[in-house]
Amino acid sequence: MSTAIQKPPQEARHGVSPMLVRLVTERATGALLRDRGTLYLCDGQVVHAESPAAPGIDVLLTAAGRLRPEGWQEAVDRAGPRGRVGRFLVESGQVGDGELEICHLGALHDAAFFALAPSSGPTRFRYGVAHWMGPVRPVPAEAVEREAARRRELLEAIWPCPDLDTAPVVRSTRPPDAPLTPRQRAVLALADGARTPLDIARLLGRPAFHTLVDMRRLAAVGAVESPRAPAPPPDTHAWAARMAAETTAPDVALLRRLRDALEATL
Amino acid sequence: MTGTGTPSRNSPRRKGTTTPMSNTETTLKEAMTSIEGALGAALVDYSSGMALGTLGGGKELDLSVAAAGNTDVVRAKLRTMEMLGLKDEIEDILITLGTQYHLIRLLKGRGNNGLFLYLALDNKRANLAMARHQLKKIEDALEV
Repeated sequence: MSTAIQKPPQEARHGVSPMLVRLVTERATGALLRDRGTLYLCDGQVVHAESPAAPGIDVLLTAAGRLRPEGWQEAVDRAGPRGRVGRFLVESGQVGDGELEICHLGALHDAAFFALAPSSGPTRFRYGVAHWMGPVRPVPAEAVEREAARRRELLEAIWPCPDLDTAPVVRSTRPPDAPLTPRQRAVLALADGARTPLDIARLLGRPAFHTLVDMRRLAAVGAVESPRAPAPPPDTHAWAARMAAETTAPDVALLRRLRDALEATL
Repeated sequence: MTGTGTPSRNSPRRKGTTTPMSNTETTLKEAMTSIEGALGAALVDYSSGMALGTLGGGKELDLSVAAAGNTDVVRAKLRTMEMLGLKDEIEDILITLGTQYHLIRLLKGRGNNGLFLYLALDNKRANLAMARHQLKKIEDALEV
C-alpha cells in the first residue's frame, strides 16, 4: 500500500480544479458545483460536501442506530432554516460532539472524493450559498483535494477495476483466496447481484468509499466477480497442435547446445 | 495540526485565520500531555486509511503514513482471527521497537465505526500499563 500514501508532487496537487485554488485564495463562501457532487466553502475552507454517489451524514448517523430518524428530522426542521443542524444535534444531547465531528468529517471526505473526481463536465460556483448543516469542522481545501487523490490511488493499488464501483455486485461461486474481515463479510452478505456498492453502503450506513475499498479487496481475493470478465487464457491446445505440425522432429543439436549453455552457467 | 492528519508543516494556514481546536484535536492533545513519553498520536479510520486527526510526530514519524500503514496491521490481525475461528474482538495491539512502543487501540463506539487510536511512545520514558489505561480513558472522552 506504500504507493497509495505517497504525496503527489506539488504541481500536481492543484490539478482537479483550478477554480478551487482561486476560490481558496479569495477566501470565497458558497457552493462549488461539479458533475458528481458539491463542495460548500466558507471563507475559503471546505465546510461540507454532498454527492449523489455517497450516503449523506443523516444516513451515516441514523443507520448505525446512533440517532433516531425522528431525531434527525426534528433537527432539520427546527435548526435547518437557521443553518445550525449540527449544533442542534449536539446541544439537544442526541449526538456527542466528537461523534458528530468524526461522522461529519467522514461524510465530507466521502462526498468530496466523488465531487472532485476527474470529469469533463462544467464546474460552477454560487457565491453566498451556505449549507443548512451549519459549521462543524472546516477543512483546508488543499487537504480535501490531497485526500481525494490519495483515495483514488488507494483503489487503483488494491485492484484496478473502476467498473466495480458502480456495477451491481455479483458474488463469486468459488471460495475466496483469503479470509475476510467481519466488515467485509457484512458487505458480501448484502451482495445479491442487483445492489450496487452505493446501495450496500446505504444499507450498512457506511461511507461509499469504504464500500468501494471493500469491493476492490473482495474482487482481489475472488469473493466477488469483476464486472468485465478477464481475457480468456490463450488457447494452448491449438498452439501445441500448430507447433507439432510445423516441427516434424525435435532439433537435437539445438537441445544439446541449450543443455551445454545451461550447464555452463549453473 | 489539521483535521485530516496532515502535520502542520505541510499545510500553512493563512495569516489571521485561527481555527478553534476540534474535539478530536483536544482529545489527542490530552493524550499527548497525560501520557508520559508520548511522541505522537492519531485517530485513524481503518477502512479508508485516513487520519481524522493527528498530533505530534514530526520528521522522524510521519503520522499520516503511520495511519495508512497501520490499517494493514489491523486488517491482517482481523483476518488471522477469522482463520483461527476466534470469535473475539481486538482491544489493542502493541508493537515493541528498539526505542519505541506503538500502541493501537480499536474503538468500540456505538456504531462500531472502524476507528483506532494510534500512539507512539518513547520506551525509555513510557509506562506501558499506564499508557494503556490512559488510552482507554481517552476513548471514552472522544464520545464516538
